[in-house]
Amino acid sequence: MTCGRSRWLSAAAMTVPVLVAGLGWRPSLRAAPAQGSDWTESPGPRYLTPVALQLSPDGRRLYTVCQDSDLVLAVDTHSQQVVGREKVGRKPAGIAVSPDGKKLYVSNELSSTLSEIDTDSFQVRRTLDAGWGPVGITTDRYGKVLYVANTQGGDVSLIDLSAGREIKRLDAGHFPEYVALSRDGRFVYVSNLLARLATYDEPVVSELTVIDTSRQVVSQRVDVPGVIQLRHIAEVPSTAGGYLLVPFMRPKNVNPLIHLQQGWYLTHGLAVIRPSGSRGMDERKARVSEVLLDDIDHYYADGFGAASTPDGRWALVTASGADIVSVIDTAKLNRLLRQAPAADPEALANRLDSARQFVARRLPTGRNPTAVVVSPDGRFAYLTNRMDDTISVVDMQQLKIASTIDLGGPKEVTAARHGARLFFDARYCFQGQLACATCHPHGGLSDGLAWVLETPQLGRDVVENRTLLSITETSPFKWNGKNLDLATQDGPRTAMYIFRSQGFSPAEVKDLVTFMNSLQMLPNPRLASESGLNEAQARGRGIFFRTTTNDGRLIAPQDRCYYCHPPLTHFTSRVTMNVGTATPYDTIQGFDIPQLDGVHMRAPYLHNGEALTLEEIWTKFNPQDKHGITSDMDKVQLNDLIEYLKTL
Amino acid sequence: MGILSCFGLLAGLLLLAPRPSAARDLPLYTQWINYTQANGFPEGEVFCVTVDGNRVWAGTAHGLVLLENGQVKRVFTQADGLVGRAVMSIAVDKQTGDVWIGTFGGLSRYSGGQFKNYTNLSSGLANDLVYSVAIQGQYVWVATAAGVCRLDTYSGAWTIFNEKNAPFDEPWAYSLALGKDKIYMGVWGGGVIVYDTANRSWRPYEDPDGEMEIVLYRNQGLIHQIVSGVAYNPDTDMFWASTYFGLSGYDGRNWHNYLSKDSGLASDFINAVKSRGDEVWACTDKGLSYLDYQRQIWVNYRPDPKSGHGEIEITGPDGKKSHVKTATSIAHNYTLNMDFQGTDIWVGTAQGLSHGIRQPQKGEQVNESSRNRR
Repeated sequence: MTCGRSRWLSAAAMTVPVLVAGLGWRPSLRAAPAQGSDWTESPGPRYLTPVALQLSPDGRRLYTVCQDSDLVLAVDTHSQQVVGREKVGRKPAGIAVSPDGKKLYVSNELSSTLSEIDTDSFQVRRTLDAGWGPVGITTDRYGKVLYVANTQGGDVSLIDLSAGREIKRLDAGHFPEYVALSRDGRFVYVSNLLARLATYDEPVVSELTVIDTSRQVVSQRVDVPGVIQLRHIAEVPSTAGGYLLVPFMRPKNVNPLIHLQQGWYLTHGLAVIRPSGSRGMDERKARVSEVLLDDIDHYYADGFGAASTPDGRWALVTASGADIVSVIDTAKLNRLLRQAPAADPEALANRLDSARQFVARRLPTGRNPTAVVVSPDGRFAYLTNRMDDTISVVDMQQLKIASTIDLGGPKEVTAARHGARLFFDARYCFQGQLACATCHPHGGLSDGLAWVLETPQLGRDVVENRTLLSITETSPFKWNGKNLDLATQDGPRTAMYIFRSQGFSPAEVKDLVTFMNSLQMLPNPRLASESGLNEAQARGRGIFFRTTTNDGRLIAPQDRCYYCHPPLTHFTSRVTMNVGTATPYDTIQGFDIPQLDGVHMRAPYLHNGEALTLEEIWTKFNPQDKHGITSDMDKVQLNDLIEYLKTL
Repeated sequence: MGILSCFGLLAGLLLLAPRPSAARDLPLYTQWINYTQANGFPEGEVFCVTVDGNRVWAGTAHGLVLLENGQVKRVFTQADGLVGRAVMSIAVDKQTGDVWIGTFGGLSRYSGGQFKNYTNLSSGLANDLVYSVAIQGQYVWVATAAGVCRLDTYSGAWTIFNEKNAPFDEPWAYSLALGKDKIYMGVWGGGVIVYDTANRSWRPYEDPDGEMEIVLYRNQGLIHQIVSGVAYNPDTDMFWASTYFGLSGYDGRNWHNYLSKDSGLASDFINAVKSRGDEVWACTDKGLSYLDYQRQIWVNYRPDPKSGHGEIEITGPDGKKSHVKTATSIAHNYTLNMDFQGTDIWVGTAQGLSHGIRQPQKGEQVNESSRNRR
């Protein structure tokens, strides 16, 4: 193993962790907070940050969850005033209304709980347990079972509401985020934010998971090819087409980022999905079409919310990076779809001249519009402006913004809030194609893809995207470690290589960095507390800190796990290192050592995402023991090490 | 009932010979429908068969077969995403509907029309030679050539049990069966190991004769170390072990061992065992053996090599034998595994899959599945 810096510098940097290990002291883990507790809150005013909303069955009440204030609000749609507030769990993310309108259900992502609220008293009646990181939530048509998408768990919890507990958990796709009940109640659809794990040279495929509500099993896993970030799901009634509309992002991640025209390196659109509706054999019979919402000279970044009017005449899709809601004429969309070959889902997927055929209006909203719903009479649509603490009201007869409801958030804009707004704003990019949030969705995650960000040569220096959560104190940045701080990463580099534009001003970069420094790792559900390691995890910790091989030979300090991944500095020594994973297509041999915090949810691994699982890092990509001494381990030891790593 | 089927049944009835009095009301499988290469089934061995309502999953040397209502609906191969060619075990999760498939190339899960695969390089699976799969709530138990693994489907955590942390003399786990808070593991060369999931304790059962190929004292323990299959019967609270040198049953206090030389067992070389109610079924290399445990009556099914028809051999508790000829027979005498579908049975053999239809008993309603003729 050779170091990217001189040997003495590296040795100096390693002194502390080596010493403490040599003294036999097991450094304590970074204080990973237990679920729902010790979550660091930013100082200053507490913004509401509404992210999801639902209407009461009679349309008189609008309910919205506010993720930064842990509140659910009730708004009178006639007076457009807030008439109720109730505290729920940590970071509420989703909301559902019971069919009779008497109860609300709120998913609390950081608490991994669900709050049940009585709509009359507007008080929490009970708190239920969910899986890991619940977001999307819906009841079945009878109001007896809740379906909850658990983002970190990768599954859907079925909660029996009379018993108040989970009765079943169904495996979904990669980071299931939103759910929707079909109009006839037969199915629950689940959209998955991230694509199925694959190496960079394999096509990207996302999944829409279909659950049969009568049998309560997964009946279909619909392939949606070439896209990621499936978001909210809208079902157009059968009279208008009878399909699902799901916003997506379509990456061209292995093209070098020098070709700006014709979709550059990602586009935004809608998946038009017709699940088979069959309750028989679970084959892939769904029909999928993909259309773009972007225009040839302007993009509408980060499609998020989707809704249909009750008659299906119009569909609405928010572009959360463009501060726009697109109103779609479904009759014209149907006409376009009929022209495309039914067997080819991607026939229209690269046509930037499609949107003008079926988009009736592009209406300006507040900042960062997310969810959208339509009133039962189809008269109005409501959408949350997450970064403004407001709700826009769309007049669906005149197709214009009728009013804006102020939810009463703080009016002062702090540096962090300004930075957050910049994070979600695609205006700084050439033709508005992308914002920071485009490649770092769900508040700063990695999109799980490898990109060719740097060189103009096709296929060279393919690099895996990284998380933005808890990256303060993990500089330098960039896969070669050449960006010394976030300001360098987000300033000139982003402007030159990512946005291909003027980019952010120095003051804006400063606020953006303030915001990014506030992004924190999600609570790790695998670790209850420092002393909460189970047997396998404890054995794995011993392996992580081991100094000898199984047969007693001393492991050289630079070959020990904690040498490059010391726990005191987020498990990164913050230097570059050659671990034998460079390919013939890499222009460098040593790569910036990533932090291991939250590694359990950061697949795929290694600098180019070649290792799809943690196991593969060592079973496939460490033949020479350059990435730690692992060749003497048996399978049980490797499993133990991995179980420990998953707790970080 | 079709005309041809009636003819077959009548022919079977006409061939009936008088049975011993004790066996007169014994249920017999007199009609067989076979799925072989001749009619579109993959060639070669059928290593496993699992019934799920009106669906039958069969694991073959060349892929996974799904039959619905007696018809071959689909054959899945590696081209469809199945992780390995030879399918050794299939388990259906009744809660989720997911189908777990053990192959010689790893473990597959079939769900919603998609395969998701686990190999020992990409996951915590101990070894890609997967012999048996069983589902216990949120846990998937997997018997491999390098021990028994358990996958927690909620957390994604793998746990491996082998000679280092469990009383395995050999790591080669061939078979799994679920009991009340117990996992029964049949180990090739290692006997039967029972893991109590409630108190996390182990209890091994071994051949007290060691690995000698003789039985010094009958019924003193497991009949042989080389265990090919294990089954738990909740009706009798007994577990049964098939070995290459006889059949063993344990009721918690006493062992009940059987050898072919002094019982009606078709052969000591047994590939798998199944049990329910008073029935014990042993898949041997010389036919399918059935034991009425209460009455100690044996019934063996095999094809007659001379006539090509079926032969049923009945052995009474007094050792007296009688024979019944049937027009149709099981596909091959080398039987590998079986499962129940109501009163019917499905049997995997060395050359195809056999569907055994039980002769209707007096006053009994005919099993709906028996009406599905090919």
